[in-house]
Amino acid sequence: MLVVLGAGFASSSTGFLDGANLANIGMQSTILLLLALPMTLIMLTEGIDLSMGAVLTLACVVLAAIAVKTGSVTLALAGALALGAAFGFANGALVAWLGLPPFVVTLGTLGIASGLALVTTGAQSITGVGDDVVYFYAGKLAGIPVPLVLGAAAYLAMHGLLYHTRFGTYVFALGGNREALRLAGVRVNAYLIGVYVLGGAMAGFAALLLTARMSAAHPTAAIGMEFDAIAAVAIGGTSFEKGNGWLFGTVLGVLLVGVLRNGLNLLAVPSSLQVAAIGVLIIAALVIESFKNT
Amino acid sequence: MSTLTLPRLALSAEFRTIVQRLLAVLALCIVLSVLSGAFLTVGNLVNVLRQAALIFLLASGLTLVILTAGLDLSIGANVGLSACLAGSVIQATGSPLLGAAVGLGSGCAIGLGNGLLVTVLRLPPFIATYGMLWVVHGLTYWFMAGATIHGFPPAFRALGSGYWLSVPIPVYLMFAFLAVGIGFARYTTWGQEIYAIGANPVAARLSGIPVNRRLVLVYTVSGAMAGLASLIFLARLNSAEGDIGEPLTLPAIAAVLIGGTSLFGGVGTVSGTLVGALILTLVLNGMNLLAIDANWQPLVTGVIVILAVSLDVLTHRGGSASR
Amino acid sequence: MTAVAAAVGPAHGGEQAAPLFELRGITKSFPGVRALDAVSLEIRAGEVHVLLGENGAGKSSLMKVLCGAYLADQGEFFHRGEPVAIRSPADARTLGIAVIFQEFSLVPYLSVAQNIFLGREPRGKIPGSVDHKRMHARARELLDRLGLEVDTRALVHTLGVAQQQLVEIAKALSQEARILVLDEPTAALSERETERLFSIIQRLQSQGVAMIYISHRLAEVFRVGGRITVLRDGRKVGSLLPASTTPDELVSMMVGRKVDTSYARRYCESPGEVVLEVKGMGAVNGVSGVDLVVRAGEIVGLSGLVGSGRTEVARALFGADRVTAGEVRLLNRSREGGPDRAVRSGMALVPEKRKQEGLALIRSVADNILLASLKRIFPRGWFSPAKGIGVASERIRQLRIATPGPRQMVQFLSGGNQQKVVVAKWLSADAKLIIFDEPTLGIDVGAKEEIFALIDQLVQRGAAVLMISSELSEVVKVCDRAYVMRDKRVVGELARAELSETNLLRLAMHDA
Repeated sequence: MLVVLGAGFASSSTGFLDGANLANIGMQSTILLLLALPMTLIMLTEGIDLSMGAVLTLACVVLAAIAVKTGSVTLALAGALALGAAFGFANGALVAWLGLPPFVVTLGTLGIASGLALVTTGAQSITGVGDDVVYFYAGKLAGIPVPLVLGAAAYLAMHGLLYHTRFGTYVFALGGNREALRLAGVRVNAYLIGVYVLGGAMAGFAALLLTARMSAAHPTAAIGMEFDAIAAVAIGGTSFEKGNGWLFGTVLGVLLVGVLRNGLNLLAVPSSLQVAAIGVLIIAALVIESFKNT
Repeated sequence: MSTLTLPRLALSAEFRTIVQRLLAVLALCIVLSVLSGAFLTVGNLVNVLRQAALIFLLASGLTLVILTAGLDLSIGANVGLSACLAGSVIQATGSPLLGAAVGLGSGCAIGLGNGLLVTVLRLPPFIATYGMLWVVHGLTYWFMAGATIHGFPPAFRALGSGYWLSVPIPVYLMFAFLAVGIGFARYTTWGQEIYAIGANPVAARLSGIPVNRRLVLVYTVSGAMAGLASLIFLARLNSAEGDIGEPLTLPAIAAVLIGGTSLFGGVGTVSGTLVGALILTLVLNGMNLLAIDANWQPLVTGVIVILAVSLDVLTHRGGSASR
Repeated sequence: MTAVAAAVGPAHGGEQAAPLFELRGITKSFPGVRALDAVSLEIRAGEVHVLLGENGAGKSSLMKVLCGAYLADQGEFFHRGEPVAIRSPADARTLGIAVIFQEFSLVPYLSVAQNIFLGREPRGKIPGSVDHKRMHARARELLDRLGLEVDTRALVHTLGVAQQQLVEIAKALSQEARILVLDEPTAALSERETERLFSIIQRLQSQGVAMIYISHRLAEVFRVGGRITVLRDGRKVGSLLPASTTPDELVSMMVGRKVDTSYARRYCESPGEVVLEVKGMGAVNGVSGVDLVVRAGEIVGLSGLVGSGRTEVARALFGADRVTAGEVRLLNRSREGGPDRAVRSGMALVPEKRKQEGLALIRSVADNILLASLKRIFPRGWFSPAKGIGVASERIRQLRIATPGPRQMVQFLSGGNQQKVVVAKWLSADAKLIIFDEPTLGIDVGAKEEIFALIDQLVQRGAAVLMISSELSEVVKVCDRAYVMRDKRVVGELARAELSETNLLRLAMHDA
């Protein structure tokens, strides 16, 4: 499907197969990938995190504020990670301990995080984050753009986590047969909370790249980005049922969303229609998945 | 073991919920009037009612959806598209009536789409309406292309900002639809069937209730109410932009949940939703009066949603753990 | 009977005097029922011990006591002659007892090896990591013990039911299980898969694993060998060896429950018109070739063992599961469509899972009673709470439903009264054909009689009733005729004169 789409865009727009454009797709997709990877894990547990875009936005604000004040990227990143993890913990705790439905909980935390981002900045952008931060988007490591390196590293780390650790095994079991996992003596709630904490922390990490890319933090920068992430996961073949999905599919999904947006941009299709198209894709992907299973 | 708890009657429980929530309204009013001298003025109270009217109209349709244990996340986006379509039709033709018909029609169509996704394609409601949210959102932005439509005939604007006997028109609409909502939920067989579907969809189906048709109905009604709300909103603002509806989804869900309707279906009332809309509006209005930044509003609404759903889970899960 | 019990010879094998596991005088009561009454059982290493009994004879209760799900009221357990206690599933596990249930506890999108070692993964060098190599090697070893050639990396959802069952057995063996309880292990297996399971059972036997084998299929019981213990009404009727008995003898040991004669209805002498006529019906849920006739004024039983397809027939007739072959005619008109059409054409279903499928528990008694007849009572669609309460109150009086009032939530009613609410729902709907699926399940004795009286009233008024029941004595007592099902097909019909527990059970069990 990705190949077909790529070929289609290549033939209809001369700028598409340009090396710079392809690198551009990769760079832009990295931030989405950082959200979509943990979203895959969350959806494997039959959950969802609608607050991820808002948490990313708030993390950008925190990161930029610390970076401006202290000039330390390490401190800034630590702050963003801690904030993301805290939101993840809140989501996970409400879902696991109180048994609240994930989509309503994260809709609530979406409101809280996006509100906090507006309130703390007074709806103003924070600029002047310094070149140390910008390096993480614009810089190169051994000739390769830093975001691509980080994206690849994040994928490898997440792949290892999902397929080579107990945590990963239990992620599949949380969605596939939670009762069996409980009977096997595993502390189900701790792992479920862990998945959401991971999601929040990854949003915090993505804040570094997003802030670097814009060399500023905008109080509404990534609002709604969870939608692209959910789309990428769903298109990548992860369903909301029974822990059915695969991580590499999400990479393909992210690329597909990236290529789609990029290609449609080159074809001068307004971004609003792209959103509509992706909305249709989500529904289509889930319908196909549910028919495959019956 | 349950002999001791026997005299717990369904009706009185509902009644108690409403009374509790009304007491909360009263308490909020007292607190606000102490905190701010501007609260207990006719102008402000009228304003509160008018704001509550918009949220209630949107939330009343949503109440029916949630009664069936479903959810409609697309209502905000629906308001946006319906308002923009209605606005441009009015400007193009000069006919408020035609515009209103288009607004209501687009609202219904989106709701019908949700209903079909949930029944025919059997998607989980939150996913179906979440996808729909973005489809509608995208279409709206594409249609508007960043433009703003403003300036409508006074006759149409009266719908949102007009008065009759010094009470805003939307407030009349609110009470009219409260009556319609209560009538539908309590005094029609369809209303009874909707409660039954929410309480136990399998038993409802095996009792011969056409479950899918009723579900399509409630999603369509929810869409239609979003269409109606969009008209009032449009008339009030006297302008339409792509994103006007988005901030309304969370408050509408909050109003339904505060009003005592359970996300797990089968429990709740339309009148409760009115009280929920009042509570939410009072909180937001109070923040306004106390000169708290409007940016706090999504945050406070988010906290309220989580509190309301926690309360819902703690009260309703406990009672029917066997489900 | 005592002669039969005495016929048990010394256990074959006989490596040691003390059996691997022994239960003595196990008693377990539930309100109103004594599920197990001083049952004793010996299980020897390398032996297959068959548990046989009618539905509700106490097999599953015994199994649940053994695996720690139920706590026995009285009785002792001995492990290799030493007294032990089973107070929780964990106790049972440490004693090496594992139950292979019909519904598997597997995770569909994890591999075979990951499922076997779920929660006990071999640890790798990096903290938190899993040593895949070791895990797959150990899984391979276990599967080889079973002679299962499936790839340990295959995802479980891609396997067939038979293979999933073997993975479940491998999982139990990996936990050092020495006593496997197999609950109807062949229920979902084809003939070839069944043969294979038997060869695996033999293999496990030679490795010294003891097995308790629960089955309804008499032919199998002789096939797997080992000792046979027959239960009836929670009591052990006897223990014997397959070589010294016959299928007929086993059937006669299983039947003969105390029949309660306090109630006997006047059987229908001259049934009325044909209400339901089914020819060659097949449905998506697996039933096929079903032929039935039910006439007005008749109570027709639909008997058979649990899992023989009775509920599936009911669901297909009612339109809840799609009919794919044959014809269903109701009052001489072809019946099509879903449950809503069924109700409109005069059909009613009292489902087996009362709480999950029959009632809206969080709604009031009145709401539930009116649920199926809203259209009838309020043809214009305007619902009047006062009239609704009136109609419901009338039904509450008529059926003597014990409730403080029509507004009481159904979940606070007793099981018998909840069942009456379901029946009341269909009285209001004025159904012509009423299908009862296990109408007395989980209801105490007094309420049972009331339910039967109600069913009798219905047919007196000219309705036709199809009654599914696992209690053979109930079918014999209540029904005018009965059909018997086996393996998702109707295999026979018994007229009133032929209706006896022995005949029902013969038809239901005999594979010949």
